[in-house]
Amino acid sequence: MPPVAVSVPTRARGLDRFVAALSLKRVLIALALATLTAAALNPLFITPFAVLLGRLLVIALVLLLVFTAAGSWPVPWLPRWLVQVLAVGLMTPVVSYLVYLPAVQGQVFEVLRHEGRLSGFIWITGTTLLLGLVLALGALYRERDAQARNQALTFELERSQLERQALDARLRLLHAQIEPHFLFNTLANVQALVESGSPQASAVLRSLIAYLRAAMPRLADDGATLANEIALVRAYLELMLMRMPDRLRFEIDVPDELAARPFPAMALLTLVENAIRHGIDPSEQGGTVRVEARQEADGALRLSVADSGVGLREAAVPGTGLANLRERLAGFYGPAATLELAEQAPHGLVATLRCPAEVRA
Amino acid sequence: MTTARALIADDEPLLRERLRALLARLWPELEIAAEARNGREAVELFDEHQPQVVFLDVHMPGMNGIEAARSIARRALVVFVTAYEQYAVQAFEHGALDYLVKPFDEARLADTVQRLRERLAGPAPAASAATGLEAVLDGLAAELQRRQANPAAHQQWIKASVGSSVRLIPVEQVTYLRADEKYTLVVWEGGEALIRKTIRELADELDPARFVQIHRSVIVNLHEVVQVNRGLNETAEVQLKGRKELLPVSRSYLHLFRQM
Repeated sequence: MPPVAVSVPTRARGLDRFVAALSLKRVLIALALATLTAAALNPLFITPFAVLLGRLLVIALVLLLVFTAAGSWPVPWLPRWLVQVLAVGLMTPVVSYLVYLPAVQGQVFEVLRHEGRLSGFIWITGTTLLLGLVLALGALYRERDAQARNQALTFELERSQLERQALDARLRLLHAQIEPHFLFNTLANVQALVESGSPQASAVLRSLIAYLRAAMPRLADDGATLANEIALVRAYLELMLMRMPDRLRFEIDVPDELAARPFPAMALLTLVENAIRHGIDPSEQGGTVRVEARQEADGALRLSVADSGVGLREAAVPGTGLANLRERLAGFYGPAATLELAEQAPHGLVATLRCPAEVRA
Repeated sequence: MTTARALIADDEPLLRERLRALLARLWPELEIAAEARNGREAVELFDEHQPQVVFLDVHMPGMNGIEAARSIARRALVVFVTAYEQYAVQAFEHGALDYLVKPFDEARLADTVQRLRERLAGPAPAASAATGLEAVLDGLAAELQRRQANPAAHQQWIKASVGSSVRLIPVEQVTYLRADEKYTLVVWEGGEALIRKTIRELADELDPARFVQIHRSVIVNLHEVVQVNRGLNETAEVQLKGRKELLPVSRSYLHLFRQM
């Protein structure tokens, strides 16, 4: 597969970084420090204070530009901080020397011949070198500190977002558990059985009670097992079979040894409800719902819910059920749990849930 | 007057049986001409038997009760049977029809029978009642559409062949799409696959509020964009959540990111 990525010229990005790093605060600090240095060095100089101050201000600004530029255009093989410190260290004598040039009308060696100027140059270079390096290291330290804080904040934010999502998923589970449509239609059927004195009535009531008990709001997933979930799914399918005996067939194939596996309550039911609601119920002919559980080689649990119903159109609006389910799985198993939907031949849908062997602590 | 005849339409057999049993007790002269299991059968059996009364379940597979009522309402008295359609209850209260909310009891059905017998004995319904009915049906149809998994204006799933199966990928999980000759590569949280659609077709089908074309051959999910880096010559590149590759934004699409 050819990579889509194109490399963008680093020059433009370097310029962006340069402008961003050259904050007003840094400029002001550099100028203030230059003024203080000028005041401190003034007694040693016969040059008027204004000239000394001017020289130091120019040096401070140029060094700040050097420092910022060195940080904005990356140099291969060298860490950024080293490039910045080296740049400041090397440029200090050069810049100090250059600010003396106007005083000697550009006579390059004139500075070195005049004893007063030479000592001034050495003083300025020494002081600036010291202060410049301290300042550069300080700025780098603060930058690194800010980055670390930033990263810690980002982690904290992500963690709290994940926690909130898990909590939201649980709250939604508490709210929209039993659909009124489902409940009232089922009760209407039970009423019909009771009135006609059908012996089927008590078995159906048992399924309804099992379903309602399992679907009752629960805050914790403590002790929820695959066996509980399968009992809930079976109760639900029995109720649907009573309502659509001519349209629904179902099979449940779950090996006994998987029964005790921990499993988030209502997760499989969501898939089975979807299979009925979107696959079987809209179909005049109906179809079969098949629920299967298997253990994978790595110990993971693979569950599938397949229906031979009408399938899904590309424009069908996904219910909130699937989104909630994904969040619940992430909360229970962590990111390793997956949910996949695929088409069934000749028609229908299969949802496959893969849950890692380890439950999230 | 000839014997009144009725049609019962409900996809749940126990509920058809119960209604038939209750009607036999409350209105022994009423003949149940036929029972239908869905809206399509209801319309067919109505045309065949021409009953005066129709009991229609609102929620049925294939053609629902509202659609069935639209084609037969003017020719018979329709009683809707529905489970907890709050809106429907409201609509019927203002309309000319009767309705039964499941599960209903015998006394409630007795009221309905009383009303139907009076209506059948009296003059034919006035035109205004029929107009009111149309409004009720319109409202109900709109409500049903809103509640049911009604097709959206934009594609919600992308069907892609992965191995031997056709996977359904929810569009919100798709990170980006890239043209690959006649095919398009879909990249989503769980992997990537080629689909038999061109980038141009997909650009038309996907929700433009979420998916934007940023290059002749690339569509990205805006919710997955982490950062846009400006380049030289009015170009840029986009960085996506959890992906290493950068996607090019060409000059003509750069305006999409101007405000960012």
